[in-house]
Amino acid sequence: MTIRGYKFPAPLIALSLAVLLFFLGGVLRSGFANWEQAVNIVRLAAFLGIIAAGQTLVIISGGEGIDLSVGSVVTLGALIMFRIGDGSNSMILPALVLALAAGGMIGLINGLGIAFVRIPPLVMTLGMTGVVQGVILGFTQGVLEGETPPLLATIITRPIVGRVPGIVFFWLIFGLGMWLLIERTAYGKKLFAIGTNRVAATLSGVRVNREILITYALSGLLAALGGVIVLGFTDIVFLNLGNRYLFPSIAAVVVGGTVLAGGQGSYWGTMSGALVLTLLTSLLTALQFSEAIQQMALGVILLLLLSIYGRQRTN
Amino acid sequence: MKKITLSAQNLIKRYGGVVALANGNLSISSGEVLALVGANGSGKSTLGKIITGVVQPDGGDLHVDGQPVRLGSPQVARRLGITAVYQELSLIADMSVTENIWLSHEPRRWGLVDTRQMDRHTETLLELFAGTVSPNLQPSTLIGELPPDEKQVVEILKALSWDPRLIILDEATASLDSRQVARLFELVARWQADGRAVIIVSHRMEENYRVAQRATVLRGGEAVADRVLADTPTAELVQLMIPDSAVRVKKTAADDELTQRPVRLAVNHLKTKRLKDISLSIRDGELLGIGGLRGQGQEELLRALFGVVPYEGEVRVSQKDVHFKHPQEAIGHGVALVPGDRGTEGLLLSRSILENLQLPSWAQYGRILNMKSARSDAQAAGRDLRLKMGALSDPVSSLSGGNAQKVVLGKWLLRSPKLLLLNDPTKGVDVGAKGEFYQILDSLRAAGTAVLFYSSDDEELLWLCDRILVMHDGGVSAELHGEHLTHANLVAASMGSVGSMENHV
Repeated sequence: MTIRGYKFPAPLIALSLAVLLFFLGGVLRSGFANWEQAVNIVRLAAFLGIIAAGQTLVIISGGEGIDLSVGSVVTLGALIMFRIGDGSNSMILPALVLALAAGGMIGLINGLGIAFVRIPPLVMTLGMTGVVQGVILGFTQGVLEGETPPLLATIITRPIVGRVPGIVFFWLIFGLGMWLLIERTAYGKKLFAIGTNRVAATLSGVRVNREILITYALSGLLAALGGVIVLGFTDIVFLNLGNRYLFPSIAAVVVGGTVLAGGQGSYWGTMSGALVLTLLTSLLTALQFSEAIQQMALGVILLLLLSIYGRQRTN
Repeated sequence: MKKITLSAQNLIKRYGGVVALANGNLSISSGEVLALVGANGSGKSTLGKIITGVVQPDGGDLHVDGQPVRLGSPQVARRLGITAVYQELSLIADMSVTENIWLSHEPRRWGLVDTRQMDRHTETLLELFAGTVSPNLQPSTLIGELPPDEKQVVEILKALSWDPRLIILDEATASLDSRQVARLFELVARWQADGRAVIIVSHRMEENYRVAQRATVLRGGEAVADRVLADTPTAELVQLMIPDSAVRVKKTAADDELTQRPVRLAVNHLKTKRLKDISLSIRDGELLGIGGLRGQGQEELLRALFGVVPYEGEVRVSQKDVHFKHPQEAIGHGVALVPGDRGTEGLLLSRSILENLQLPSWAQYGRILNMKSARSDAQAAGRDLRLKMGALSDPVSSLSGGNAQKVVLGKWLLRSPKLLLLNDPTKGVDVGAKGEFYQILDSLRAAGTAVLFYSSDDEELLWLCDRILVMHDGGVSAELHGEHLTHANLVAASMGSVGSMENHV
């Protein structure tokens, strides 16, 4: 979108749309645009935003990069915290470390398959989803025993200032960390390089395979972190806990202006994208549309937004 | 076989202001094999493309079987029985050998493609090269799975499937091995006996002499001679192609001083799949040129030295034995490479000028990058290079060709390389930017950087370098320096003919 020669970056468009939707909701349905609702929406967006962080890195890395295993890794992360944490606050840290290690390991295997065996990311991570789900089933035998450590739930849901819960502050700090990682480290700079042109990156001394490995490992690790945080909110685990986050995690990245072909994108875009998606869902629910209408409206609005970005790129 | 005669008179072709062909003349008839020879850019390809209907001439006459014709498209030429085999392959990777060969003239039955007949015909064609290709080459093999030489064989068979009266082989032997070349030439002799006409364009002089009886020489877009090869020695033919054989002595004032300097790069018996036993050495502050026709292994040599292509043999950089397996290791030893295709190999087009300049150097700006100093370093490099740009944050795709090439060079200047490998760096760069580029090279050389410089532009090499290694078919065919540094010697060595040279390696 270009107005008087100024090109609006995609994340800004998404963010403006989020604000617009919020007040539109207030007009259409009194009581929608209040402080409580705003806090609630940001909180819900935080879960999606954190889960989509790894997806952002993977998509920027290019080479048809996508991580379809995030859903199952979210479930796994939550499950490990549920099982190992088992209601005990002192077990939060060990359980967290274990969950992150498990997620990172799964991501690393994804990366190995993609970088060295040259399996397309879509196939590799889809296959990994099946494996992780199988492992979860095998270990639990379908019986989910355990308990969420109370401190975890407290940290995430208890309001800190002005009814704003801890998770929202965590998300802001996390966002800053992601920005530093992407824009202010050598890893981040090389990430954009391999996403843009792997031959040129190699010829400039970038070890492309190593970047791919790190990126997919980070994606697994961040998805597991997302699982732990979601658990703090839901309090219980079920076998398909993470599945409903998979497609929104990709949609949030793309709505935030990150290019599916790789090499261009940002995490604050993904944060805006998560806000837009969460707001849309909340608004459509508040307007009491049927599930079918909600799905269609969501699809149409995403297409409209992406066509705006598409025009912008060709101009 | 219906006989054919073709004659081209005074053909002219311009591309914008550039005259590719000023006076193209050629005649051939059934049972003849004609060699079309000339230096790079003499108009051989253009003339070939006019005859096959790929390119439309701006003037001149073309007669086939005595009738004036206008070949508006390759289809028209094919209908007259004229086909060509090109080096740049026209095959589709995801389709089978059979499908490629019969594309657009599939044998039909009841209006449907008759696959049985098509496969049978393909097998007959493949038998022509039986014994010189791997058993993997079958009618159903996908083109994408074939090595370059077998792709070239399929390309030849594809042209043959039209049962042409006149075949043009344009550098068709460049990627074939010697057995396949021998088989192809047997076939050429057979086609000749069948009453077909053949035009061969080859950079390898001996090949022209092996199959052709007559040669038409092109120079600067004009047909300057038509000779019977049996009566024309190679040297004379080369002389006709390049008349300027005046001895041109380079300034060698710095020579004595140069030999005192340390050897920056020493290569002994370097071999790769494509390269045959290369040895060379460069001293600090020396600009060593690599010449020869395109695709003789020059690029592979530079890539091997930079750790991109695996190799065998000894390489010493700065008196240390090295064996680079990744460009990062080469960069660590002060080696830099400017690749041949800046769009696909040199630049991140959609990223900023800053990110392109700093890509090899980010690690030296700290764990959390010090963007301020990264920016000021890049700004300084931009000034040194006289880079015409808006802002460092602009995408590199906003720059002109010459300025974009400066960015590719600039990212290495930021690292003060000890050894700079250049792969045809001025290709497609305008004259002004070329001049600036030469100045940068000069100041690098003055600062003691050793430069290994491949260029497809002979004039440029002769003008810039004190010493030139001429490569031919994966090996060094000559080392030229001093009084032997002439265009004629360069061209002769490029063709792999070393008869007229005294100081070949």
